[in-house]
Order: sequence, then structure tokens, then C-alpha cells
Amino acid sequence: MSKRRPYVRPMAGWWRKNPFFVEYMIHEGSALFVAAYGVVLLVGLVCLAQGEAAWNGWLAAMKHPLALLFHLAVLAMISYHSWSWFKIMPKTMPPLVIGGKRVAPAMITGAGLAATVVASLILLGLVWGMTR
Amino acid sequence: MARTITMEVLRYRPEQDAGPVFQTYEVPFTDDMSVLQGLLHIKDELDETLSFRWSCRMAICGSCGMMINGKPALSCKTFLRDLAPGPVRIEALNHFPIERDLVVVMEDFIDKLERIQPYIIPKEPRTLEQGEYLQTPAQLEKYEQFSSCINCLLCYAACPQYGLNPDFVGPGALALLHRYNADSRDGGAAQRMELVAAEEGVFNCTAVGYCSEVCPKHVDPANAVNQNKTTAAADYFLGFLKPKGSRT
Amino acid sequence: MEVYEADVVIVGAGGAGLRAAIAVAESDPALKIALVSKVYPMRSHTVAAEGGSAGVVQSHDSFEHHFNDTVSGGDWLCEQDVVDYFVAQCPEEMVQLEHWGCPWSRKPDGHVNVRAFGGMRIERTWFAADKTGFHMLHTLFQTSIKYPSIKRFDEYFCADLIVEDGRAQGVAVIEIASGEFTLIEAGAVIFATGGAGRVFRENTNGGIVTGDGMALAYRHGVPLRDMEFVQYHPTCMPGTGLLFTEACRGEGGFLLNKDGYRYLQDYGLGPAEPEPRNKAMELGPRDRLSQAFWHEQQKGRTIDGPQGAVVHLDLRHLGEKRLRERLPQIYELAEEFLGVDPALTPIPVRPAVHYTMGGILVDGRCASPLPGLYAAGECSSVGIHGANRLGSNSLAELCVFGKVAGLEAAAFAKSATRRDSATLLKQAQKVEQDARALLTRTDGTERIAQLRREMATTMESGCGIYRLADTMQAACDTLDELRQRFRNVGIQDKSSVWNNNWLLTIELGFQLDVAQAMACSALNRKESRGAHQRLDGFEQRDDEHFLKHSLAHYDGAGPPRIGYGDVKITHSRPAVRAYGAAGEKAEKLAKEAGNG
Repeated sequence: MSKRRPYVRPMAGWWRKNPFFVEYMIHEGSALFVAAYGVVLLVGLVCLAQGEAAWNGWLAAMKHPLALLFHLAVLAMISYHSWSWFKIMPKTMPPLVIGGKRVAPAMITGAGLAATVVASLILLGLVWGMTR
Repeated sequence: MARTITMEVLRYRPEQDAGPVFQTYEVPFTDDMSVLQGLLHIKDELDETLSFRWSCRMAICGSCGMMINGKPALSCKTFLRDLAPGPVRIEALNHFPIERDLVVVMEDFIDKLERIQPYIIPKEPRTLEQGEYLQTPAQLEKYEQFSSCINCLLCYAACPQYGLNPDFVGPGALALLHRYNADSRDGGAAQRMELVAAEEGVFNCTAVGYCSEVCPKHVDPANAVNQNKTTAAADYFLGFLKPKGSRT
Repeated sequence: MEVYEADVVIVGAGGAGLRAAIAVAESDPALKIALVSKVYPMRSHTVAAEGGSAGVVQSHDSFEHHFNDTVSGGDWLCEQDVVDYFVAQCPEEMVQLEHWGCPWSRKPDGHVNVRAFGGMRIERTWFAADKTGFHMLHTLFQTSIKYPSIKRFDEYFCADLIVEDGRAQGVAVIEIASGEFTLIEAGAVIFATGGAGRVFRENTNGGIVTGDGMALAYRHGVPLRDMEFVQYHPTCMPGTGLLFTEACRGEGGFLLNKDGYRYLQDYGLGPAEPEPRNKAMELGPRDRLSQAFWHEQQKGRTIDGPQGAVVHLDLRHLGEKRLRERLPQIYELAEEFLGVDPALTPIPVRPAVHYTMGGILVDGRCASPLPGLYAAGECSSVGIHGANRLGSNSLAELCVFGKVAGLEAAAFAKSATRRDSATLLKQAQKVEQDARALLTRTDGTERIAQLRREMATTMESGCGIYRLADTMQAACDTLDELRQRFRNVGIQDKSSVWNNNWLLTIELGFQLDVAQAMACSALNRKESRGAHQRLDGFEQRDDEHFLKHSLAHYDGAGPPRIGYGDVKITHSRPAVRAYGAAGEKAEKLAKEAGNG
């Protein structure tokens, strides 16, 4: 009779046991803020469809100090999400070869972040130009 | 002169222990000593009953993977000097059943390796008299990195999705699958894609990416898995464009 | 006890065992193959081979050149007909590996690339960066998965060979996970269990390289041939003995003494030129290079390191880019294990035991004198290495003779008469009984670690690079004593599940027997040849008396009986082994003589 009795360790709380996993969970968690902001914008769109009064009400709500605080938090979390998203991006794509040489992962992450910053600035400029 | 370091080793002897327990050893060490050499000191001088796998001592046979201070690592290329003053905590690789002490049951990985068809399925069969297939250095580079997997299982111990769902084929085996698909001599990709897209395939991966962090051979299994997500998704959608009956 | 009925059982799943298994499977898919290994196949020590595998491919090379390099490298102690067969088969086997997916390094045009190696006249070493053994092993292992007739017994330890009716008919194995025994019956048995380098202290070998198959065959009456020839690899890590491949020198690395001087030019290997020249200087044969180190040390021209004397392996002039491309593993080993960046600093190295040239006596078709028992790879002595193995011949040997062993064993198994299962089982039960007695006894006082340490120390002092009668005699005596003490060994671990304390003890028994065969064979060879160099009045090669294979016969508790066998010489008469400028001159003279 075999005396084997393999022991299976529980997985409960796995993500707290390694800083890498904690970071991963924060990254995943920050996606909730992205979704939350999407919902806010969606509500704005619905208000716009409902007429001027509803739209103005939504605009007023957006100016509430709590709403500003919410936006600041969302901005921080979305920035973190973008940063950590671009950090894993090189691992998720086929090797990028330019001029016979493989592009380093840090370059890809850097390029992604730079594109984010540039796109955000352009958007900011456009909005600023329209509302001036 | 000789410094010592405390090594806390997870013991599990199925014939006497209900579950794993830590046992502490004081080990003298020098700057050139690896964790493996520390364990060998325990085995030779302090406690013959401690069981662990090891062989080559030079990070190529893949035997001596274990959790060292909570991280999956090869004990032969982790040095005690870097862990001083300690204590150093050594456990069997995460996510695998413990057979005994630091030895895990790895049959599951072997089953998975066998399922990915890890051999050349020739695109154009060739006889020995015809000599070798031509393969340029650029074609070699497409898969060489993924062929460097030493099957040490560190990536499995780093993959929470494998821990939560042991059916997941997992990073190492999928990297090897990709190694064959990416080989210019191979024509078996279509056969292997079934497993890639299956329930236990690549879509279990949530891009944690820790597998690639811990890989001692720079295989980057996360990359192999995620490249195949794209391929599997493309296959799925392109399937609708093909004439009826051509999809298998 | 479980019983498994196979046609062919193979013990050892490294390069030779896997190649044999595939050969059997391809020859007849109906044959049942049991492939036994005490480790998962990809852990086998083939994995650690770095530099490459020989096979003639270049148009200006020839089988004759490969033959000559092998036979002169082996100091004419080779079976020349076997070498002929070997060199002719190498290229096909390398191509076969290529077809199975081995990632050989390539030339820009897509053809396989070859590199220079020590003792070779023309570049013919196929390589996969500096992880050739790793890639060959994984290619063979993964390819073997294709064949349903190969039933693997991974992590099963071979406790004994079952011989009945004068014929090898199976093995008794222990499942490591449970400690349970299985009898594997078979029409033929192949041993592919690797070398025995771990009987020495400083060595390049993995912990599993303990001569198991050698000892088992030996105990069953098969002689061990040429065991005194143990190869020291000249460039190893001080202390651990980890290997820095010969390819470091093939790529152009220099060996420097404490004055930064390329000392090999003082030992008949010069002249020193900036570019690597085949069969000269750093590309001389391994025995000569290791011997030169010893002399430098005697002259006080080595460097004192924390782990003993060293010389420098200088790769700086090759530059980081080339090193990363051609020698990536070496780069990492130096950085991680020694904290040395080889592009900036020379690597400290010293010789360490690397390879056992001798082994289980087999003929050119891998058949041992015991009917039904075949052997291939480092555990065997098929006769191609002679007194000193040529670098990159061992990986090729695994393929060429792994295949031969597989085909021959398959043919033998098919014609083998029916087995008497009851008798075989009775034998296996006896094996189990003995092994369990060793485990359960409580009166043993000797510790395996202590015995192993004493064995390694005495082997190092008695059977080192240079040898003396009195230290060899001391080694023989010590080994005799250690074998007596081993009978009083005690095992702390009494459990069944993954009890490797028990298996390490059985292994130590194997090691002591093999070590004794080495030391006694060495003591009896009163000449200097290849890796066996004496300093006690026998400094010269003595073809008159010792152009002979030594044969160690097991003799129970006592030391082995040492006999001698003839060397097959077909067309290369023993001559002076000359390298460097002297070698070129000798070759030229020989050519002129041949033409005249």
C-alpha cells in the first residue's frame, strides 16, 4: 500500500502574500475607477438627451466639491492604471523588430506612456480651445 | 570567521505530519554558497531526513525550484550572502501538492507537456539524405527564447490562475507550445490551436506577468501566452469569414 | 510487487536512453518499451553539456580527419573499427536531431554552423549556443512523447539488474514517490545511466552522476573497461567545479597564468598566436591542458584563490556582444556565481573531473558479454574515447550508440525465448528484501556523508591529474576499508515516501565499487597515457606492455581482479601525440612519407 499523501495548500488570501500580486490587484482594482468615470459620463449623456434642465443639473452636480474630489481620485487611479497597463504591454505583444533589432520592453512602455501624455494634451488643448 | 544563517525549512512527512511545519536549522555559510549548498549542508551534517530535488548546481537541469522567502527561485543560483542576515524561509513550490518536504508532485505538468504535442510536426517532410532544413538566424530567433525553458516550474508557482484553476495549461507548457508553432520547420500550429483556445487554454491568463519575472532563463512565458490570445481570437473571428464547413 | 512486462527496458533517460527508446519505437511500434529514470528525463546530466556535438560537415573536412583526431586524442587506446563506424554516423544523427527540432545555431544562409573545439583539426562541432546538451536532451525528450509505445517510469530508481539463465531479463526498480518496488521484465535491458564523476570531490557533474549502471553490470560479472581514464576538464569554477565550456576557447579565449602569460606555449602547444588555431595552444586536448595547469602550479605561476590555485580564462577581447551571442550561459554563470563580468575581467578557472572514459564493456554494437544486456553513453565503454575523450564526441556518442543499442536490443528481445516470470519475481523479491533490510536496520553507525567525503578525498589524491604508486595504493586501501565500513552504514530516515536518504545510500554503494575499479585499474597501469599520467618512473607511454584495455572484474567484497584485453587497431599505428607547431610538422612528415 502506498503511503503517499500529497498535501494541497489552500489558495485563500493568495494575493496578500506577495508584493507583486498586491500590485496586480491594485492595477485590476484601478480599472473600477475607469468604469466609474464611464458611468458618470454616461449619466451626463442621458441628462443631455433629457433636455436643458437635466443637463444644467448634471453640470451643477459636477461642480460640487465632492465631485471635484471624485475627479481628482479618478484621475490618479486612471494615471496609475495607464502606467501599469503599459508596463505589462511588452509582455502581451509579439516582438517588435525595427531595423533588424528587437525593441526593448522599456522602450515600448515608454512609447505607450508618451502617446498617452500627448493624446491627453491634445484633448486638453481642444477642449480648452472650444470652451474659450 | 564562518558566519551562520538561520534556514527555516517547510517540512512535510506524510507518514508522520498532519500538515506542513517549519523546522529551523543554523547553517554556517561563506559568500560563495548558494541556498542549495545550505540545504546540502543540512542534509549531510544536520538532518539526513530532509528531502529535496537537485542535480546540476548550475541552473540548467531545473530540479531545484523552491519558494525562497516567498518567491519562486532556483536554489542553486540564489546565494545566501544576498539573504543575510536571514532568516531564510524555504518552502516547496507554490500551487503544487507537496509530496514531501520540498518535493512537489509534478505529474500534472508532465501531463500538460505531453498534451501540447511538443515535437516538430513537419510542414514539409524531409528525409535524412536531404540534409537539414534551412533556417536563418532570424527564423531561429523567433522561437529560440521559448525553447530555453528548463521546466523548472517557477512560472507555475508564480501563476495565481494556475493555483486557482489547476486545469489551466499554464505558462511553461504554453511557452513550449508557442516554441513549436513559431518554428519555421513546424506545420502543426492548427492542431495545437485547439488546446490554445480551449477552456483550459490561454484565456485563463489575466496577464499578471509574474511568471516572466521569475523565469530564470528569460523565456518570458507571459509573452507566449498573450501572443496566443491574439492568435486564438483572430482564428475565432476569421472562422466566420471562411466558407461553411471548412472550420473543424 | 507490481510487475510490468516490457520487450525492452532502458535504464536512464538522458541522451542515450531517450535515443535508444526512440530507435526501438521506430524499429517496431509493437515492442513495449519501459524507460526508467531516477529523475524526470529533462533533469538527466546530458542537460549540462555546453559546447557541442561532433559531425563532419565542411567540404574540407573528412571522416578520416575526425577519425585521426579521435584516435590520437585517445592516445591510440581506441577501438578503431568502432571509431570508423562512429565518425561515419555522426552527421546523420546530427541532421536527425535537426529534423526533430534541435535549435542548432545557424549561418546567415540558414545552414547549420560549426565551431572549433579542442584537439580538432577542422571545425566540426555543431552547437546550440552554449547549451547544446540542454537542447539535445529536451529535443529528444519532447520527441519521445510522440511514441505511444514508450512507457516512462519517471523517478523510479533501479535497485538491481535481474539476471536469470545467464541472460539479463529485467530490472527491479523503486518508485521514489512511494518507496514501492516494481519488477520490470524484459527481453533485453539497456543501461544508459551516465558516468561516475561524483566519486571525485571537485567535479563538473550533477548530483545524480553516481555510476549506478556501471556498478550493477559490474556486480553481475560484466567487466568495467579502462576505468583509470578520468578526464579533467581544464576550465572549471574553483570550489564547485562547474563547467566553463571548451567553446570559450573555441571562440578564442586565452588561458593566462599569474603573469598574464599564455603558458600553454611552454608545454609543446605553441606558438602563441592571437587568433585560435586548431589543435594548438588553448585548442589543445583536455588532458594536456589540465596537465599544463598542474605544472604551472608546481612552478608557482598560478594565482592563489579562496578555493585553491587558479589560472585565468580571458575572454575580454571577444567583447560583450559576441559573448552574449555565442556564450550566453557562460556569461551568466560568471556574473551570477562568481560576480565576474567576463567582458571586463578574466574568469578564474582550474581543472575538475568531468568525464569517465571507461565503463561497461560492450562491443561495437553496444552488446555486453552478458547476453541481453546493452549499454550506451558515458556508462559504457564502446571504445571510441580511449585514454582521453575528444571534446564534443560524447554528445554525438549518445545519439550514434543510443540508436545502435536500441536497434540491437530490439532485435535481441524479439528473438529472446520466453521468460520464467515466477523465477524473475522471486529474484526481485530478494532485491527488495535486501534493500529494505538496509533501510530498516537500526544498528548501523556509519554516516553516508562521511563515507562519501572520504571516498572523494582519496580519489582526488590518488587518481588526480598526475598519479603516484603510493597515493594510488593508498586510494585502493582506503576504498577497501570504506567498502567494509559501508556494511555498517545506518540510515536516519526510515520512511517510505520520497526517502532519498535511502536511495543515496544505495548510490554510495555503487560509487564505492566504481571508485575501487578506477583506483585499482590506475595502480596496475604502469605507464603514462592520455588522462593517466604517472610521475613515479612510468612517465612514458609503453605500447609494448600497455597498448591494452584494462578490465576490472568484480570480486565480491575484495578488490577487483584487473585483466587486460586487446585494442583493435585497423589503420592508425600508435605515434607521437603532437599538437601546435610540432603537430603540424609531424602531420606534414607523415603525409610526405605516405606519398613517398
